[in-house]
Amino acid sequence: MASHAHAAEHEQGHSHYPADMWVFPQSEKVAPDLVGRTVAAAPRFKMWMLIAGVLAVVGIIGFIARAATDGFDEYGPWGYYMAVFSYLFMITGAAPLVGLAFRFTKSHWRRPLSRVSELFGLLGVVNVLLFIPLLFVLPPLANPQVDHGELAVRRTLWIAGPWGAPQLWDLLGVVALAVMGLVILWLSAVPDLAGAKLAATGWRRKLYTMLACRWCGAKRQWHIQKAGLALLGGFYFMTLIFVQFLIATDYGMSLVPGWKDSIFPPLYTVISFQSSLATILIIMFILRRWGGYQEYIGVSLFWSASKILLGLTLLWTYHLWAFFITFWYGRMPVEQNILKYFLFESYGAVFAANVVFSFLLPFVSILLWNRFRKTDWGPALAGCFILVGTLAFNIRIFVGSFNAGDVYALALERVPPPVYPDLWDIFIVVGCIGLAAFVYLAAMRVFPVLSIWEVKEGALYQRMERFMKGRYLVLAKPE
Amino acid sequence: MAKRPLLGLFDSADRAADAGDALKKAGIAETDYDFLTDAPYPEGAFGERAEHHRLYIYPMIGAVLGLTSGVMLTSMTQMAFPMVQGGKPILALPPMAVICYEGTMLGAILFTIFGILFESRLPAGKLGLYDTRITQGFIGVLVHCEDAEHGKVSGILSSAGAVEVKWENARAATA
Amino acid sequence: MQEGRALTPTEINRDLLRSVLEPPKWFWPVVVILTLWVLVGVTVSGIMINRGLGVTGLNRPVAWGFMITNFVFWIGISHAGVMLSAILRLAKAEWRRPATRAAEVLTIFSLMTALTMPIMHVGRPWRVLYWVFPYDFARGIWPSVRSPLVWDPSAILTYLTSSTLFVLIALVPDLAVLRDHTTGVAHRIYSVLSLGWQGNARQWKFQVIAGVLLSALILPVFVSVHSIVSWDFGMAASVKSWHSTIFAPYFVIGAVHSGVSAVVFVMILLRSMFGWQEYIRKEHIDALGRLLIVVATGWFYFLCMEIIFGLYGREADEVAVRTMQFMEYPWNVLMIIFAGITYFLPVALWLPRSFRRNLWIMSLACISVNVGMWLERYLIIVPGLARKQVFTFTWQTYMPSITELLLILSTFGLVSLLLLLFSRVFPLVPLYDIKEGEFLRAKVQVGRSTVPATIRED
Repeated sequence: MASHAHAAEHEQGHSHYPADMWVFPQSEKVAPDLVGRTVAAAPRFKMWMLIAGVLAVVGIIGFIARAATDGFDEYGPWGYYMAVFSYLFMITGAAPLVGLAFRFTKSHWRRPLSRVSELFGLLGVVNVLLFIPLLFVLPPLANPQVDHGELAVRRTLWIAGPWGAPQLWDLLGVVALAVMGLVILWLSAVPDLAGAKLAATGWRRKLYTMLACRWCGAKRQWHIQKAGLALLGGFYFMTLIFVQFLIATDYGMSLVPGWKDSIFPPLYTVISFQSSLATILIIMFILRRWGGYQEYIGVSLFWSASKILLGLTLLWTYHLWAFFITFWYGRMPVEQNILKYFLFESYGAVFAANVVFSFLLPFVSILLWNRFRKTDWGPALAGCFILVGTLAFNIRIFVGSFNAGDVYALALERVPPPVYPDLWDIFIVVGCIGLAAFVYLAAMRVFPVLSIWEVKEGALYQRMERFMKGRYLVLAKPE
Repeated sequence: MAKRPLLGLFDSADRAADAGDALKKAGIAETDYDFLTDAPYPEGAFGERAEHHRLYIYPMIGAVLGLTSGVMLTSMTQMAFPMVQGGKPILALPPMAVICYEGTMLGAILFTIFGILFESRLPAGKLGLYDTRITQGFIGVLVHCEDAEHGKVSGILSSAGAVEVKWENARAATA
Repeated sequence: MQEGRALTPTEINRDLLRSVLEPPKWFWPVVVILTLWVLVGVTVSGIMINRGLGVTGLNRPVAWGFMITNFVFWIGISHAGVMLSAILRLAKAEWRRPATRAAEVLTIFSLMTALTMPIMHVGRPWRVLYWVFPYDFARGIWPSVRSPLVWDPSAILTYLTSSTLFVLIALVPDLAVLRDHTTGVAHRIYSVLSLGWQGNARQWKFQVIAGVLLSALILPVFVSVHSIVSWDFGMAASVKSWHSTIFAPYFVIGAVHSGVSAVVFVMILLRSMFGWQEYIRKEHIDALGRLLIVVATGWFYFLCMEIIFGLYGREADEVAVRTMQFMEYPWNVLMIIFAGITYFLPVALWLPRSFRRNLWIMSLACISVNVGMWLERYLIIVPGLARKQVFTFTWQTYMPSITELLLILSTFGLVSLLLLLFSRVFPLVPLYDIKEGEFLRAKVQVGRSTVPATIRED
């Protein structure tokens, strides 16, 4: 028996890849299997949906209590709400880009994660809902009562702001992203829904029939679908960068007197990309380990994505350093106070958590080592660290910004004390995350969580073939 | 008895790989033969042994030494000439970090280069048994064996398709 | 993405060693012209050292002018090497193969050229030793590591050392090819330089690891170099338009933008000069063009951030600089030209696939980027200093002298000369990389179409 196996290996050639590095799903089994998994949910899945739903209710209680206690006149008490909004916005807003970007670079390993990434498009709606209360708390641009040494118009991007600035334009940006996210999800899922409608029953069949329009898989339809996704991906990327720039500035920097920091919007964007990729890797790990998708999700996905995660982790640290050293070196009082406020004194502990979880732990313990990056759990664990770090980032920036004192002052002349969360803040933070999780889990019950057509397409272009005495991966890239 | 090298030249990589199989089957140890090529073939393409190494330790050592040098250089020069500039402390960590970072990276890179050369056994004093056609696309199968085995090995290489088999005295047996 | 026919190792050797073994007829005349060109620079440098910086247009407050602009420009060009070679190697991009060596060599020569600029700029070049070398020249005064002007040489020398060793390590297998193709003195020299390379499995394994490991190690150095150059400006709180937190990434991506454009232009030149049409193919230029669209757009984003947050503070002294940049002649005209030729024109030219495959258009776009990026540095340096507020008793503008102009022009001659001389001694396209690419070519049959594919090791 052993000699027979050896002879077979000799015949086929020796492969030096780890056993589950690459997976090659059988093309004909992909569609029925993935549609079946979408329709039938395990009891454990329902339990998680229930937990997320309960958390969402807790969040609603927290929100109502906060509104009843503090109203919307003062923005200070809404710091934690803003922090968790930004946390969810930066993750869910950037997540659809992960799939789009790697589709643009024609990376085959991205195929199983495309839909997982695009499903976040649905959370754009949650973002819009969560953003609405924030429109009411932002202080006016013009100083209602100009005291000595105060600005008549506070420092913002809106120097001679158009009507409704900044709230209306920020809202438009968040809504535009949500709409584009939904269209991208729909466009990407159309071929799968057209196939799934035949197997589905009840409300799913009606919904799939409606969403699938008249998709029949004609060559022209495929061309339009792919071109549409590429174009929308480009627009989505540009809009996302712009909206993140607006949110980071209008709800962060502009509320801190004297904070002028050109690297802050890119810093915000980089940590947003880092945390969205981290989230997707965690979801991929869960699907692979406990969702039964092992034959579709190879370790190669984690290995390839972890390189990007490593790059983003270093890039974030680099941006942070560029900010820090410029402020530190200049020795200007306002800049020193801002450093003390956000980095060393008031929010020193949160900043430490931010650096440890966003950089040190994921980098030193996992991402630096090939051995750990070549596993499914390594990048996912790094992702968990990063999510904690990102939350700390949002708390120190936005709770800090919402409580930095006189917004019309010329400069931050004293270092304000930190603001700790009360019970309603904790309810709000947990509840908003629960709400997002609930919507995502619900979306997984409607759309196949892996992109069927992309997985099938991938099967055409990836093979393990013999070359001389070994077996190697052969990757084809059509134009 | 000392082992001496024997070089079989192949005009096809597949035939050279078959020669490797034949040598293995004939009981020649994997450490006693090697494949000489003009470009890096994928690992295992010739069915050759896996090469083990400790290259990744070199940059670590270099980085530690570089960092230490950086810390010493920046701290000692500042303490030797303690002039306050712009209200910054004499031992100002952020500027020191910049130079320490460069020192760390330089140390890591220099040691990596050293490690690559050492692990590749370069520079080699003598080229040894070699044929210039290898850089024209021929594959060399270099076998170290005892004189008594030369005939057998030469036969294996020739029957695997070697266009020429040569040994140290430059005597050649054309297949 | 594999066009062109399959090439045999013999063909590859013959074609790519042509620049070394059979230099074309134009080679020496061009070398003589470039040498004369460089000599002009040497002469004006001599005059400048002899007469002092009074022969330049530098003044108070504009103490940095053409030479520092040119310094930043060449540092920028030097970023192409690592960007292309390291990032594309780590990303396993097949189309990197013909571009890596030329890019790395361009890195080395542009870094060396960049280094000459601040040395000349200080007026008394020998004194640089006192300022940057950690050695007590018997006066009890040590270099101040708190100064970004001391960070600079430490970063540049690290980058220069690393890049040079990177190129040399990657050259060893090709030097062995040259050893096997030469006789006499040349053979003896190449034998020594190739370190006894045989091409066995162990040596190749470490050559491959060297490429990846050194790429990963040099990448952080590459980012640090231009960041530190940017901090020469960014740390100066007294020049308002310079004290911007975004300067580091903005300079780095700008450097990549100009550097990769320069590499594309050099590749097009090499292709036509040495007849390497089968190696530097239009698909490679096309891929680089697509990469450049992304890089240019990223750079444009950072440019916008820099300008927006310059105005965001509404501080009088910064607004004065921006008013000068955008409203006052000739700076406003230069600003429009700069934005046009650095982003809008080249990106418009890179968008259509047919343009990306037209070598004339690509050359035009890449030259345009580099003229624009030179202007960018000039527009950062001079207006900032000309409207400097703190400790300034006069506001003056700056007009470069003929001495500076000739010195700057000669640096372009110097880099061209060094590249040409390198090509006479070493192959500018890595032979083994091309050969590896050839046997890793594969094809996958999908229905009735044949799709080009690549064998991948992981």
